[in-house]
Formats: sequence, C-alpha cells, structure tokens
Amino acid sequence: MQDDKEKTVERLKDLVDGKSTYLKYESPELLTWCGGCGNYNILGAMKQALVHEKISSQDLILCFDVGCNGNLADKIGTNTIHGLHGRAISLASGCKIANPNMQVIAMAGDGATLSEGVNHLIHAVRNDYNIVFLHHNNSLYGLTTGQPSATTRKDQKMNSAPDGVYLDPMNPVDMVLSLDPSFVARTFSGDIKHMTEMIQAGIRHNGFAFIEIFQTCPTYSRKYKQEWYWDKVKYIRDMENYDSTDIWAARKAALEIEENILLGILYQNKNKQNFMKKLPNRQDITTAPVDEVKHYDISELLKEFE
Amino acid sequence: MKRTVVKITGASGMGLLSVGDIISKTLKNLGYSVCADREYPSLIKGGHSSYQIDFSTEELRSLSSKTDILIALDAPGIVNYVKDIKENGIIIHGHEHHEMIGPLLTATKDLELTPLYLPAQDIAFSFGGNHLMVNMVLLGLLWKVLGLEMAPLIKEVEERFATKPKLLEIDLKCLQAGYEGQDIENIPTLQIPSNKEVPKKILINGNNAIGLGAIQAGVRAYYAYPMSPASTILTYLAKTYKESGMVVKQAEDEITSAQMALGSMYTGTRALVATSGGGFDLMTETVSLAAMTETPLVIVIAQRPGPATGLPTWTGQADLNMAIHSGHGEYAKAVISCSDPTSAYEQVQYAMNIAEKFQIPVILLTEKVIAEAQITVDHFEHGKIPIERGLVTSEEELAELRPSDRYKITESGLSKRWIPGSCKAVYCANGDEHWESGSLTEDAEKAAPMIEKRIIKEKLVKEYFPDPEIYGVESGADISFVGWGSSKNAVLDAMKNAEEQGLKVNYLHYEYLWPFKEEKAKKFFADNPNVCLIEGNYRGQLGEIIENNTGNKFAAKFLKYDGRAFCHDEVTAFINENK
Repeated sequence: MQDDKEKTVERLKDLVDGKSTYLKYESPELLTWCGGCGNYNILGAMKQALVHEKISSQDLILCFDVGCNGNLADKIGTNTIHGLHGRAISLASGCKIANPNMQVIAMAGDGATLSEGVNHLIHAVRNDYNIVFLHHNNSLYGLTTGQPSATTRKDQKMNSAPDGVYLDPMNPVDMVLSLDPSFVARTFSGDIKHMTEMIQAGIRHNGFAFIEIFQTCPTYSRKYKQEWYWDKVKYIRDMENYDSTDIWAARKAALEIEENILLGILYQNKNKQNFMKKLPNRQDITTAPVDEVKHYDISELLKEFE
Repeated sequence: MKRTVVKITGASGMGLLSVGDIISKTLKNLGYSVCADREYPSLIKGGHSSYQIDFSTEELRSLSSKTDILIALDAPGIVNYVKDIKENGIIIHGHEHHEMIGPLLTATKDLELTPLYLPAQDIAFSFGGNHLMVNMVLLGLLWKVLGLEMAPLIKEVEERFATKPKLLEIDLKCLQAGYEGQDIENIPTLQIPSNKEVPKKILINGNNAIGLGAIQAGVRAYYAYPMSPASTILTYLAKTYKESGMVVKQAEDEITSAQMALGSMYTGTRALVATSGGGFDLMTETVSLAAMTETPLVIVIAQRPGPATGLPTWTGQADLNMAIHSGHGEYAKAVISCSDPTSAYEQVQYAMNIAEKFQIPVILLTEKVIAEAQITVDHFEHGKIPIERGLVTSEEELAELRPSDRYKITESGLSKRWIPGSCKAVYCANGDEHWESGSLTEDAEKAAPMIEKRIIKEKLVKEYFPDPEIYGVESGADISFVGWGSSKNAVLDAMKNAEEQGLKVNYLHYEYLWPFKEEKAKKFFADNPNVCLIEGNYRGQLGEIIENNTGNKFAAKFLKYDGRAFCHDEVTAFINENK
C-alpha cells in the first residue's frame, strides 16, 4: 500500500508539472454526454495519459467515429477529425503514414468497430499500423437510441429487439487475438487510473495498440452498470504468473467476460515491426511523407518507354 | 494519311502481349508514330484476345476499325476476326488445320484476302522450342511482309529475352525461319514509307503516365484496391517504389483506400487513389467527408461500362454524371479528365493542385482505352506544372493562426489551411456541420453560411479552369464536334483524313468538365453551323450539360456504348454522312 501511495503522489506531481500541456487540451465547448456516461472518465484518462507521456496537443491527431465517442471531437483542444461511421481506423492509419512523428489515436464504439467497419479492424491488426485504437465497448448503439450491437448479450430487450436479442455476442478481444496482434489490452470506464495506464502503454507500444474499454451506458444499459463491473473485474498486475507474451493465455482470458473479467495488457509482442518499418522501399528513408512533397525527377523512369 | 494496321489474335496466354509489344516498340524505334491497344475478356487464360497496332510516318493517335494484316495465333483467331480485315488484306497464320482456311476464304472472296501459312509449330519444335514460339515464327513472316529491316527487330527481341539466353537463341531461329518464309511462293511486300529521321519519342499508355505524373507531383502515398482498368496504376507505382520512395499500399477495400488517402491529405502529404466506377461507388461517402471537412482528395476513375460489373475489360465514358453528382449533400467539386498519355501525365498533377488550392474533392476521369492504349508522344516535361498547395507555411503567419481561421467565412468561400502540427492552432475537421474552428453547430444562422461557403468555392474553381480547346479552324467548319476524353484521338485523326478530302472539320475538347465552362461552347455554336456531339455513352451526358447550359442543340450525336472506343474511320464515316 505504501508503494501505491508513493506512486500516486509521483503521478500527481507529474500531472502538476505537465499543467501547461494539460490546459491546452481544455476546450471552451460543453460536453454533451448523458450524466454518468463512461465517456467522461475515458476523456479524463486520455488527457492524463497524454500529459504523462508529454504529448503536446499540437503533436496529436485524434480520429473519432460517429457515435457517442465522436461527440468529443470538437470538445478537446487538439487536431481532431470527426470522420465517418466505421472508418476511424482507416482514416487514422492514413494520418499516421503521412506523418509518423504525430501521435495518432483513433476511437470508435462497438457498432462502428464490429459491424460497420469490422474489415478495417482486421486489416489494421494485420498491417500493424502504429496507432492507438480505443474500442469503446458499451455493448449497444447509444446515439441511435439503444439498438443492440454485436456485443450485446443474448436475451436482452433492446430498441429493435423487443423480445430480446436472439444472437450470441461477438468477443472482439478474442477475434483480435486470433489475428496475431502486437498489443491487446482491456480496461473499464469505471477505473480512470487503470485506463490511464493502459492508454499510456498503448502510446508507448510501437504498433497497432488495441485497447478495449468496457464502457457503461447510463441510459440504455440497465444491467451492466459500473457496480456490475466492479464486482467482476480482476487486474493482471495482481496476478503473479500472468505472461503477457503468451497468446494462448491471453485468448483464454479474453473469453471471460461474465465473471473474473481480466483487465490489463492481455498480450503484447514487442518484436513485431510496425507498418512503416515493414515497407521494403522505405528502409533507408528517414524523412516523413509530409515533408517529402516536391517535384520528383522522372527522367530515369522514362527510359523504359524510350 | 497513310497508315498500316496489324492485328494479332489468339487466346489469352499465347504470348499476344509480348509479340504485340515487340512490334510496337520496334516500329517506334524505327521512327513511326504508333497507337497500340489490346482487347481481351476478363479471363487470365483462354478466350479471344487481340492486339492491334496502327502505325504511320505521320502522327496518329487512334486505331482503325479494320486491319491490313491479321496474324492469327490460333484458329478462332482467324474465324472471329476475318470480318475485321480490309479488302486485299493478308492473313498470317500457322494453324495446322489450315484446310479450314479454304472455305473461309471462299465465304469472304469479295475481300480478296491473301493467306500466308507457315507450319509455325513444327518450325518452333524443330529448333527445340515450345508451342508459345509460334508467335516468333509468325512475327518473322510479318516483318518480311512489312518489308522492314530485321536488325532493329532482332535487337528488341534480344533486349526483351536477355535474361533467358537459351530461349532467346531458339526465339531468334524461329524469327529468322519465319522471315525466310520457307516454301511460301511470292510473299507480298507492303510498300511502307520509311522515316528520314527518328524523332525522340516515348511509347507509353495512360496508366503509366498517371503513375509518372503522380511521382512528379510529389504524391507520397498511393492507396488502391485492384480493379480493371485502374489496376495497372497500382502495378506501376509498386514497380517503381524503390526509385520514388512512395508509400504504395494495396488496401483491403476501396472504402479504406479512400479513407487512408483522406487521412494522409489531412495530415499534409499528397496522396492519390484510383479505381473504376464500381469501386468509386464505395468511395463516395469519403468524397462527401472530404467536401465537409474541406480536405483535399484526388480520386482517379478509370471508366469501363457498367452498371455493376458490366464489361470489366472494355471502355466507355458513362461515369461523368456519376462523378459530378457523387456524394450526398451540396458542395463544390471538380471533375476533370484526360485524353492521352501526355494529358494523363499532366492532368493528375493539375488534379492535385486543384484539390489542395481549393480544398475540395477532385475526380480525374480516364477510360480503359486511355489507360491501356500505348501512343508515341513527346517526352514528358519535368517541372512544367508547379506544385500549388495553398497551405499557410510562413513562420509569421503560422504563429498568428487561430483555430477559427480554418473555416472562417470569407467572400470567396476559401479559408486558410495548414498542416496539423505545424503550428499551435488546432481545429476539428468535423463531419458534422460546424462553425469556424470546426466546433459542432446546429444553428440555422451558422449552418446556412457554412453550406454556402462550401458551394461558392465552385466559382473560384471555374475561374481557375482553362477554357475548352478548339482543334482546327475557329469558325465556319463544314462539320464540328464537341467531346471529351479519348474521343479527341479519333476525331483528330479523322480531321486529317477530312482535310485531305477538302473538308473543314473542327473539334471543341473539354478536359475540365465540372464546374462547367459554357462560354467557349456558346461561341463555338455561334461560329459553326453544324455542331455534333461525340461521346462514349448512351445519353450523351456531356451533351446534355452543354445543351442545358447553352440553350444550343446538337445537329447530330455520335454515341457509342458497346464497350469499344471510337475508331478514326468510324468518325470519318460519320463526317461523310453528316457534313
């Protein structure tokens, strides 16, 4: 406990030192989420993580999806894009490729990530684009007033499923783990401190960092409230024998979403090369595409056609 | 204008492409003006394909509908294409069952065709070669018929097969045997004029030209999903990526490639996407987002006939309306086109400039026939088209920027754009309606001026666009044409023929299609009594735009929508009917 307290004090000092960085992220716009929405805590954790990692608002691009998370897009002081439903990952990957010196974080809900744009998630894992992806998983469609999503548990009555959802839910973490990812973490919107740590770890990771955030919805989720999660969650940091390089341990843990929900870095492979590092033709190029726009002489290439 | 036409036919996979390319390149190196294109089904092997080469000592840029010489690599290659041979034409073939040629010649005896047969497969086998080398034997015989020197042809074959010395040796023997023609009596020789000097030209197709234009323009990321006839842009940029250093990414679908390009453009580099009509359908939501966030975006559409999968390996100009009207909502957008390799090289550079200067989506239309037809053109110029980005870059100006400068309401509709990270000012590129810093708004008094802002930029684009160009006389033509895209090539070739007949023909060519510039068209109608439309679609889509915007009516419309490009002699026939 003494250690914990010292760490907390240290982190608070870190935040105080980063006050000017923090203030830049403040926005005059009012947040419009429902009272008790998990997004408030996610926002708090994200800002703290950015300050701890000393990322100035100028050097960050946030890509938002359409959905409740997207309503933050104009309410945080940094470079943001409020894009299209399901496409945040592709948009963010394009941003990162253009300028690998920018920190790029994308976020999207379970509707966007697992239905509208599930292909983008699959291929982003395979390509290992060097971005952080926050998967806001509240197991429903919030902004469109409470329809079921691919992660809604069976038999729950929802708008558009009056007799209850008749399909079994998907498990996005298990799916991502099946794709040989480089970073998978789970956290939950009731624990700002843990979310902060996971986002920080994602930022430090050199590749596609998939972070699932179990998010509470005060308006459309009657059963799965903060208290429900508090009773079920367990932390990897408290486990002595958890090996986050063991993908089979991670896949086993991923399946537990009713009891003993495991939070933390489920899996990380630090030896993978991210997308830009994989490109065969850019191994010796040290500049960023954003700084490379100029006329390129094509006279050598024209010889083929002479 | 004297031109010679050679057509090679056979099944896909029989070496049509390589023999066609050898002929085209050798003719180009002998100083001829060449136009060459392939027709093939959407199959990898089998099915009927053809490769046609028109060449002349005078400049030409389109194909003829009939050929002087047919080289048939297989029997269906004769049966299916005999109708495409001119009177007194020559059939060069090596098909063993050549007895079938007899009845075919009887059926077409009015044409007085001359068949030239060599047991090409036996000859190839006798040198230890394989059945694919039939094309070398027949190529040798073709050269004899053309009456051209062998040395440049041998040099081209040597260069092409330099990495396979054993096969090359056999290839050359086949070539020589074909040239000697074995037992054929009286091999006819065409009287082809030779060139006094060899102009320094390149032989290139439109897709490679788009690739080169993109490299020249500083495009640093290319995203695409394969789709004919756009795929070879991806192939070319991948093939050259070591030299260019470009990020070349084959994405998981068209939605992704468009989104990645938009992300890269927002972040401040130059990115490009190309597809065909069906792929573009998937990209339209991104076009709409580019318009809303005023982020530049350039998409190349290589047209083939639709709807749906349509005719995947054929050509057309039917996606103009789709390009103009793509994406929901109202906003400024530019639709431009290219017409030949030089134009493809330049228009992709202008497309990047227009997108960046005016912060709008730009669609560059090309066609299968432009994408794949190789034409001899002058060397592409370096540095001719300046890179115009419209970005705030000076340190002083960057230091003074405020978030609300990004979407500030201005008289012209254009506001400042800067590279994220280049200064302290941050903004939201918001897909929702927004106010000047990008902050969301649903206020009526803010929504209306923002919608206006994104539309009135169109005026700037229209002013920036050059007028359509008139080829031939300005006024008083016996017959006039208006068109866009590849139609230009057939019309310009037909104009030369018409001039020889003493006819005055002129042509108004639109490369910049939307926003539509009507002034020159109005004057063209006023100055010329017999203005006709030439367009590769059923409705006459550009024609409708012209009629609606100028109040003029076309005297006649030459429309083609069967997947085939306009041939110069078809235009000549139209001229003779409608002059």
